[in-house]
Amino acid sequence: MPDIPDTIVVRRHRDLVGRRHEIWVRRGLLALVGAVLALGLADVFGQSPTTDKAEADAATLKIVAPASIRGGLMYQCRFDVHANRELKKATLVLDKGWLQGLTINTIEPSPLGEGSRNGSLVLELGHIPAGDVYSLYIQYQVNPTTVGRRSQVAELADNGKTIFRIHRKLTVFP
Amino acid sequence: MDIVLRATFAFAFIVFLTRIAGRKELSSLEPIDLILLVVMGDLIQQGVTQSDYSVTGLVLAVGTFGVLQATTSWAAFRFGPFRKLVDGEPIVVMQDGKVLEANLRRERISLEDLAEEMRGQQLASFDDVAWAVLESNGKISFIPKTR
Repeated sequence: MPDIPDTIVVRRHRDLVGRRHEIWVRRGLLALVGAVLALGLADVFGQSPTTDKAEADAATLKIVAPASIRGGLMYQCRFDVHANRELKKATLVLDKGWLQGLTINTIEPSPLGEGSRNGSLVLELGHIPAGDVYSLYIQYQVNPTTVGRRSQVAELADNGKTIFRIHRKLTVFP
Repeated sequence: MDIVLRATFAFAFIVFLTRIAGRKELSSLEPIDLILLVVMGDLIQQGVTQSDYSVTGLVLAVGTFGVLQATTSWAAFRFGPFRKLVDGEPIVVMQDGKVLEANLRRERISLEDLAEEMRGQQLASFDDVAWAVLESNGKISFIPKTR
């Protein structure tokens, strides 16, 4: 047998004594990375939209928005207000969860008025005739430092009277 | 603070990924590897600095990578177990002209790859090789037989 190179230990470096498990640890960790990618494909990290809906005699509200997003992403939320009866002065009230750490690029169509009520954003949608659908689009961008899980509450009101609230969760991945 | 944390995570993830990807990927620098290097660099930059175009951001991100690299290097030099963890250990793939196929298979290196590396070191035949060692940096060292 030729001279063994310095620092090479035959049992450890050739026969791999005590190192047999290494390959399985490596494969396991690689599978773990693969699992994260699979979760990404399964939309766990966003940003496909989900739909939340609330219905009452006066109106139906459908929110189409992602439940998971990532820092820096641009995304859209759509609020469809279906007037089951005439809404004289419809307002949409969005709590801090819809605003904190998020940049609103634009709101279309522009509400008739905007205001603040107990820290929530009040958007005045105005008159919606019976049977009509009012769609409000908000284009967002996530601030890069925003992270975590939060609740979002959207309230639909008419003439200052609450029709219903929708509670949802938003997860912001770093 | 955010950039330092992001850069630290990116550094740890790169070390982790290169460690589990296998040594064959480390040593080869085919055209596709070169392209992947550039693309990965760009992807990492986006995740670390995002929309920060400031010089301060640059100093924080590059400084973090530099300090972590120096610290890792020092720790690997100072502590044996840590060196084994981040660098790995050599594996003998040939001895006295005989190919240790189980060890080659473990690192996903084919006989053709081995022969190619051998020819690169001016060795024509497996019989000329006393030892071939897959080093922790992914390169294969060939020690020829003395005649």
